[in-house]
Amino acid sequence: MKHSQRNSRHRQYIVAYLLAALVMMYVSYSVPRWLPGDFVTAMYSSSHVTLNAEQEADLRAYYTQRQGFGRYLVDFFTLNWGYSYAFLTPISELIREALPWTLLLLGTAHLLSMVVGFLAGVEAAWRRGRVIEKAGVGSMTVLEGFPEIGTAVILLLVFALHLGWFPAAGGETAYVEQSFGRWALDVTHHLALPLLTLLLAYFPGNFLLTRGSMVMVLKEHFIETARAKGLPSLRIRYAHAARNALLPMVTRFGLRIAFMVTGALVVETIYAYPGLGTLLFNAIAMRDLPLIQGIVLLSSLMVLFVNLALEFVYGWIDPRVKHAS
Amino acid sequence: MHRDARRTLGGDPWFVTGAALALLLGLLVVAGPFFAVHDPHDMSFRPLSAPSTEHWLGTNDGGMDILSELLHGIRNTVVFGLVTGMIALVVGVLIGLVCAWFGGVTDHALMRFSDILLAVPSVMILILVAAFFRPSPLVLSLVLAGLSWPTTAKAIRAQALVVKKSVHVVAARQMGASGAYIITRHLMPELFPLYLIGFAAKARMAMFMEASLSFLGLFDPSRKSLGMMISYALKYYYLDIWWNWLIPPILCLTLLIMAVTFLAVSLEKVFDPRLKEAL
Repeated sequence: MKHSQRNSRHRQYIVAYLLAALVMMYVSYSVPRWLPGDFVTAMYSSSHVTLNAEQEADLRAYYTQRQGFGRYLVDFFTLNWGYSYAFLTPISELIREALPWTLLLLGTAHLLSMVVGFLAGVEAAWRRGRVIEKAGVGSMTVLEGFPEIGTAVILLLVFALHLGWFPAAGGETAYVEQSFGRWALDVTHHLALPLLTLLLAYFPGNFLLTRGSMVMVLKEHFIETARAKGLPSLRIRYAHAARNALLPMVTRFGLRIAFMVTGALVVETIYAYPGLGTLLFNAIAMRDLPLIQGIVLLSSLMVLFVNLALEFVYGWIDPRVKHAS
Repeated sequence: MHRDARRTLGGDPWFVTGAALALLLGLLVVAGPFFAVHDPHDMSFRPLSAPSTEHWLGTNDGGMDILSELLHGIRNTVVFGLVTGMIALVVGVLIGLVCAWFGGVTDHALMRFSDILLAVPSVMILILVAAFFRPSPLVLSLVLAGLSWPTTAKAIRAQALVVKKSVHVVAARQMGASGAYIITRHLMPELFPLYLIGFAAKARMAMFMEASLSFLGLFDPSRKSLGMMISYALKYYYLDIWWNWLIPPILCLTLLIMAVTFLAVSLEKVFDPRLKEAL
């Protein structure tokens, strides 16, 4: 009974993510259609560019060529995302250039903060009541109160502009021919500050969540049984307890995404990191509506995909879900 | 339970610190405009002048008084957070109660709908709406609230189901209490701690979003905001303005987010029945 319930919860969430993806696509499809006038008036009514009648007609023809939602979906999946006005480049190309940087930065930040945060949380719960645990919880709660804008600007001022230890902008040194090893070092050097900022933002949440749920798990009877059997403490901690403390990390991930994505946007912008966040910032500054639309849709779908993947990972790790299916 | 809670809250250092910070900032928000001797939109002063007795924090690149900007900025951020939190809370509580009370198809449909909303990344919709329609802050806070009520609704629903089955409510029903009576006299007051948790969490998210999105330039540029001040000041970092122009809004924003974070963390710790043990 419990198993099938858990399994149906699993299925429900997967359906919810797929529907959410459809909703995002539909919103992205219809937002320009809700504008008074059309894309062309929206773009040019508030800019300094004046169009003659022929240009206007051409642009209008370009932007109204997509007829239905189905056509829009086909275009989306064939990477036919339109043309950026500000950069005079196809949107798919701009995104293809920016995406690897964002994946590098966010992927590293999430992976590190999740793994280390989880381990630290488990260890902290195991040492509950000791000074080190209390100090950890206290400092992490304080850190949880720092918004990324603040930490990013202060780290930038101190370590990049004042001390000059790290570059203040970009993802790699431009116009330099170098061997792969040196290039990798250069990329890491540029990655350091934005990564540190994101780690400071993501780590406390993971740590506090894991600690909280681990404390609950450690009170369960099966932990007592494991102890009574005389199992080594490392085995109790990880093989028995930690697996069960994983659920909040997965369920809360979706709720924390609002903070995480917003924070990542701000951090990329402050360090002028060449990823999607900076591209979006530039698109907003230049009011490049098709580009904004493309980035927003793609990042939303990626967020949904990560959520869905986590749901599967969770099902794979948690023995209760695995055995049910 | 509520009287105990008050005592526990008072003894929680996070709550005390958070409340003290919030009180301080609240004072700034309420009394701020009286301290702001200049109109924050007045551009008639000498641009980029250093702090003086006339302008305590100097002036910015547009010749506007930074202190007045700051005081209006905090106010806008705080008001956005509180308004969004309030709307999300009211919607969440209503939907949560409706789900718990009626159950059946209504419950099922609303809960599946809220699952979808939970999965949709709200920042992205907010960015899309802000960039395309340039709406007023109130509309944006409505949109954000409209996307973020499901967490509150789910928490309210779960706890309302517990209260609904509890002995005293069953007794009240057997004595002939109407649905309206039970909802207003039993369910709504007994769920009060959950309102605080939900409100604090939502207000925190909304303030964080307001600061970040205004930093990205998605709000009306003539509206003063902490995020926008940071973004403008950052362009002049080489002019040695960091201590009078860049740091003050960062400090205010950090203290603000810290205050609401501490309050949210401590409320959740004290009131959430599941977390009580993890204290």
